[in-house]
Amino acid sequence: MHWQARLTKYWAYLSMGLVTAIILFLFGYVFYRGADTISWEFLTQAPSGAVLGEEGGIWPAIVGSICFTATAIVLGSIPAIATALYMVFYCKNRRIKGLIRMVVQCISGIPSIVLGLFAYSFLVRDLAWGRCILSSGVALAIMILPFIEVRAEKTFHELPPQMVQSSYALGCSRWYTVWNIILPACKGELVSGIILGGCYAMGATAPMIFTGAVAYASVPKSLMEPAMALPMHLYLLLAQGTTSMDTAYGTAFVMMALILLSNLLATIYARRSQKKWKVS
Amino acid sequence: MRRWKNRIFSLLVYGLTAMTVLVLAFVIYFIVKEALPTFQEVSVTDFLFGQRWMPIAYTGEVSFGIFNFIMATLYVSFLALAMAILVGIGAAIFLSCVASERMRGILYPFVDLLAGIPSVIYGFIGLVILVKYFIRAGIPTGSCVLAAGILLAIMLLPFLVSSCSETMLKVKEEYLPCAEAMGISRWYAIATIILPASWKNIMMSMILAIGRAMGETMAVMMVIGNANLFPHLLGKSESIASVIALEMGTAVVGSTHYHALYAAGMVLMILLFAINLIITILREKLIG
Repeated sequence: MHWQARLTKYWAYLSMGLVTAIILFLFGYVFYRGADTISWEFLTQAPSGAVLGEEGGIWPAIVGSICFTATAIVLGSIPAIATALYMVFYCKNRRIKGLIRMVVQCISGIPSIVLGLFAYSFLVRDLAWGRCILSSGVALAIMILPFIEVRAEKTFHELPPQMVQSSYALGCSRWYTVWNIILPACKGELVSGIILGGCYAMGATAPMIFTGAVAYASVPKSLMEPAMALPMHLYLLLAQGTTSMDTAYGTAFVMMALILLSNLLATIYARRSQKKWKVS
Repeated sequence: MRRWKNRIFSLLVYGLTAMTVLVLAFVIYFIVKEALPTFQEVSVTDFLFGQRWMPIAYTGEVSFGIFNFIMATLYVSFLALAMAILVGIGAAIFLSCVASERMRGILYPFVDLLAGIPSVIYGFIGLVILVKYFIRAGIPTGSCVLAAGILLAIMLLPFLVSSCSETMLKVKEEYLPCAEAMGISRWYAIATIILPASWKNIMMSMILAIGRAMGETMAVMMVIGNANLFPHLLGKSESIASVIALEMGTAVVGSTHYHALYAAGMVLMILLFAINLIITILREKLIG
């Protein structure tokens, strides 16, 4: 075999092996080290101990994280999908399209910490919402909006054009086509995009530091309260030094398990609903 | 009735889109607005090229220079990209040219798992593993630019792998059957036809990945050591994003310190915007 060919072959196999090893190691390590900490008490109790988080569980952080994520998904995904629909099926003007694309790209380029800064100055301070789930939720929503929009736009573009054209040719209105043809056909991809966006929001710490995540809070009762969040909790545990290592591993375990589960769900869902129109 | 539904739905789509764009534009406007007062106190060149960052007058004068932070951000990002591209392209070759359709169906979501892992967890694992190794290797406290680069490289992998293998797959389907029909061996064709043909697109995904790397906050902040020094491979440093995250909590609202942090954020934003612009221009020039 020619040396170039051999080199490329080794390169490909080695790299894929390395990537696989890294992934297995990351998950394996966290699951292995965290497994001892995980218990029913850990999952359902509030943190306690002389140094907060040293003992007790992470229940308020789990609930808090779910609240943050849900707020971000609701606020982020609907405008994102609407914008994607507009970009693909409604907008005829190339200049407007270019403008929207530029703004979206610009936002997707903004580092999450700067979005946190914005939410802090504008929502927490100027609008006086205070540090609460809603403030963080808006920051997270702005963060995941481009992510979902780009994915949705790509899905709409990949739709076979005959499908849409046939619908128009039969005299269906644009509303009817979008609602009964386009959205159902893309449902799998859209939902999986939203789930992955949710994962992204759940794991983000930077936008929450100043805007709504706190070191200790009980389970939130409304969106206008601050709450605990898993990534923030993990960060604070690490900042405290070595005393809370066990609970840190436990928290990481829970986050990794949630990520793994939602990724799995997203993949399976996307695949099952995709088959319907790929048959022909 | 149907016409009304159509009209309402269109209005909804238009309205939501307009709202989205306005909100996003407002975010950009707000950041710029909060950043600009900095330059009444500090000149732009002092801000960009000054090496001293002394937001509070403890000893000596206050001074705001983010040169080291900018360099650290760029240094870490390019370091990470160099490592990630080496592994990323290899894995992309495997996925596009070796794996069967079924295998790809499993491996793509598998590699995407890396993108789902929160950056705090990367930072956490970096702290408990990488930093420990660096201490053992003789670096005091173990935090260094290289550790951050390695973590960041792992975080970039999924983006590089998925975008590179996507283009390679297209190129492969176009050229490989012809190459094989001419009797060229599979791996030789991959090395000499498919790789060079995908090069332009690989470049694009590299630039995109650089943008992603520069904005990363938590993982880098946790292992880079956070000291205002010019970046060296095994020395401590501090990136723009981590300055903002670390100091925003203590900056007095309305002070120059506060505005300077916004200005640092704006510099980061402008860097990323420039990168996006380059991509758009390159895409038109190279691919058309």
